[in-house]
Amino acid sequence: MLSAGLILFLAALQGVTELFPVSSLGHAVVVPPLVGLNFRETDPAFVPVLTVLHLGTAGALLFLYRRDWARIVAGFFRAAVRGRIDDPDQRLAIMLVVGSVPAGIIGLLLQDPLKTLFGNPRLASLFLIVNGGILFAAEMFRRRDERRRAATEPAHAVLAHEDGDPQFARIEGLSLRTTVFVGIFQAGALLPGISRSGITMAAGLVAGLRHEEAARFSFLLATPIILAAGLLELPALGTDSPTALVAIGAAIVAGVVAYASARFLLRYLRSGRLDPFAYYCAALGAAGLVFIH
Amino acid sequence: MQGSQPLALALIVLAVIFAIAAVFFFTVKTTFLAGGAHPAIHWKHAIVFTVLAVLSLIAANFARPKAAVR
Repeated sequence: MLSAGLILFLAALQGVTELFPVSSLGHAVVVPPLVGLNFRETDPAFVPVLTVLHLGTAGALLFLYRRDWARIVAGFFRAAVRGRIDDPDQRLAIMLVVGSVPAGIIGLLLQDPLKTLFGNPRLASLFLIVNGGILFAAEMFRRRDERRRAATEPAHAVLAHEDGDPQFARIEGLSLRTTVFVGIFQAGALLPGISRSGITMAAGLVAGLRHEEAARFSFLLATPIILAAGLLELPALGTDSPTALVAIGAAIVAGVVAYASARFLLRYLRSGRLDPFAYYCAALGAAGLVFIH
Repeated sequence: MQGSQPLALALIVLAVIFAIAAVFFFTVKTTFLAGGAHPAIHWKHAIVFTVLAVLSLIAANFARPKAAVR
């Protein structure tokens, strides 16, 4: 049984790392042994605790984008009944469904075999380095696009900010085919160390989204998956689960921290890039490989 | 977008297959597609196949030819 203090620590860790492109699962597997916490990821209480934390994070995302979700849900039902897409809200709703289904199916089929990886912090460390490489590669492609743009259209090259630059699109500019590919890649986040938000942000950048829009796309796409992962694991809350008070407290901590993290990340990405997260993942992964035996 | 009757029919067939799979996982103890050593009711699979059946029907609604809008 996990202690209440450890559960609250995991809640704060989950809240920060679920939405940052640094893999919450990778952190939950690598950080405890790295800082010397007496904790096994194969503990029967681990999955129920993660479930509760996922519900807190999903609640934060729903709150953050509550107006978007109201329009998206209404748009989905209108589009589904009419059998056609009439406005941007309906298109976004269908894109999110199309992007979520591949990850959902792959996740369901591979979930149990991949759970054995939770007990292998060194492998998770390796995947963290891979995650850093994915983020770095996405920024490398983006810089190449920017240089190419500067060479061909010098008038636009002086723009210091992506806002207002027609080259870099909003979510509504993505094709459904791109969304399906992003959805498939999202399933890579089942591997501890590979970040769901990292993969979707990287794919969004490569597809030509602005940084802030790539994060918005990532958060909207993550919400149904995180919510479903939490709800589908609810029956696993059995005798090994934390007490109701600790569970509610952990969900609130995870939710509040996730909300603050998302707001920070959205603001940061108005002018920042993903490189710091890439270096961080590589450093944490390397530390895990060196210090965990 | 121009509709396609064959595609719509194929999606309806897919929806029926998913619905049958959902009923199967709701009612039959199995290890099929679910792993584990002991057969069990896999309601999680059942819910997912139910969702897939509904989504296939919605996709069929998108794919069917529509009457021209005047």
